[in-house]
Amino acid sequence: MTAARQPLIKVENLTYQYNGAQPVLKNISLEIGRGECLAVIGQNGSGKTTLVKHFNGLLKPSSGRVYINGRDTGPQKVSTLARTVGYVFQNPDHQIFHDTVGKEVAFGLKNLRLPAEEIERRVNEALEAVGLTGHYATYPFNLSKGQRQRVALASVLAMHTEVIVLDEPTTGQDYRESVQIMEMVKNLHEKGHTIVFITHDMSLVARYAARTVVLCEGEILADAPVRAVFAQPELLARSYLKPPQITLLAQELGKRAIPPDVISVREMYDLLQKARADKIGCCG
Amino acid sequence: MAAAVEYIQKDSPVHRLNAATKIFWALFTLACGLLFNDYRYLLGLLASVLLVAAAGRVLKNLLPAITGLSVFALILLLIQALFYDQGQVIFHLIPQTSYLPVTNYGILSGVAMAARMLSLVLSFLVLLATTRIQDMVLTMVEKFKMPYDYAFMFMTTLRFIPTFLGEVRQITDAQKARGHAVEGFNPFKKIRSYAPVTVPLVLISLNKAENMAMAMETRGYGGGRRTYFKEPKMRGADYLLTAVLLLLLVLGVTARVKGLGVM
Repeated sequence: MTAARQPLIKVENLTYQYNGAQPVLKNISLEIGRGECLAVIGQNGSGKTTLVKHFNGLLKPSSGRVYINGRDTGPQKVSTLARTVGYVFQNPDHQIFHDTVGKEVAFGLKNLRLPAEEIERRVNEALEAVGLTGHYATYPFNLSKGQRQRVALASVLAMHTEVIVLDEPTTGQDYRESVQIMEMVKNLHEKGHTIVFITHDMSLVARYAARTVVLCEGEILADAPVRAVFAQPELLARSYLKPPQITLLAQELGKRAIPPDVISVREMYDLLQKARADKIGCCG
Repeated sequence: MAAAVEYIQKDSPVHRLNAATKIFWALFTLACGLLFNDYRYLLGLLASVLLVAAAGRVLKNLLPAITGLSVFALILLLIQALFYDQGQVIFHLIPQTSYLPVTNYGILSGVAMAARMLSLVLSFLVLLATTRIQDMVLTMVEKFKMPYDYAFMFMTTLRFIPTFLGEVRQITDAQKARGHAVEGFNPFKKIRSYAPVTVPLVLISLNKAENMAMAMETRGYGGGRRTYFKEPKMRGADYLLTAVLLLLLVLGVTARVKGLGVM
């Protein structure tokens, strides 16, 4: 039972600095449990990417510790940690090097030394999950950037890692592609994967994350459920972030008994309907 | 070592000098390094280069490069000591035999070679660390009458080294994150295991080059005679230093002709 209660990712007093310069992360402590869906937000240069790169050992703490499944990442190789933590990079062109989409997705699986039939099965499954069925034999550079991003995502999905880290998965995608990608992420979360994603898009945070970590100049400014974070605009402003517009509207309407933590249009609609019904009830 | 090739923004007397003066200084160091082969002269030259680096406040930044180069310097020293058989034998590398004698001249010429290599490379690194690329291009084109295209090509190449190293790091990270490991002692296997890094690097580089060409064209590259916003002025210190270096060079050549500084 203790093993199950142990947090999947545990960060303890993590400080990180790139060779001798100012620390990028300052004394960060954080626990991420199994099955969470966490958004990391903050302005550029606040240390978001630096933080998540510690989760699969790409960076090792200057001081402090990072534990994955209770094991210190310090002495572990990235290629070993890759079995537990999948990481989707911002730019798919930093990884694509095969001449077909299928081979590209199979790369990570071959590194895991899986049997051929298993690889075949997982590649097809991953391609289906990202909506690229039928592109098995396509030359990746004939695809659009958005599609290549999904190839990169599939190549990590296929590895069936417990944790999936996504560094700005929707950058450079149009609205439809962004939603497609995030729906896939949501799907994975529902299947039991632990998700950590970085984004600048607050509406995505509102829609998909359960918990939000706000980073500001290498420190955690807030670590709370999404609603609680968006209900504090002054705090967000310190990291140059703004809650979604619907939340801003709710906060503007605050005096009229609309809570300040509304994060979806549907919610607002229900609240307004209710307020109107109450009003009619009392006056009519 | 990569970081050393970049310009390091600081306020120092060396930074304030005109690019032409510094280029002349690097050439002067090159000439002196090749003129003499006496270890004392060359060690002196090395000391002068380090002094300039210190005056430019970039000594600390160059430290990784110096450490890296020292390894090569040591190899040079060893090779000289091993294969130079003139002079007095100090000891034999295989004791109690007369094989592989190490001579005093062997060691000294090894020291000279190492000091020469270090001075030449470091003077170039100091030049790059204290001079902005734009200023260097400007000087090459205006003062040394080099065609602008060549100067630009040369500088772009330098400029791209850190960029590429950054890309290599990102690509390596992305492949490692998918469980890739550069493995084994079999050299063929090893070369093959670099493919996941080299292929994306080449593709990204081609893409970058194309984008840069477009960016250059949109900004009117090759659109006729260039004028410059900043005319780099030669100030008093520049004239003085150039004169001093010129004088030293003449003295050096004279000394060399008279047979000084040669072992």
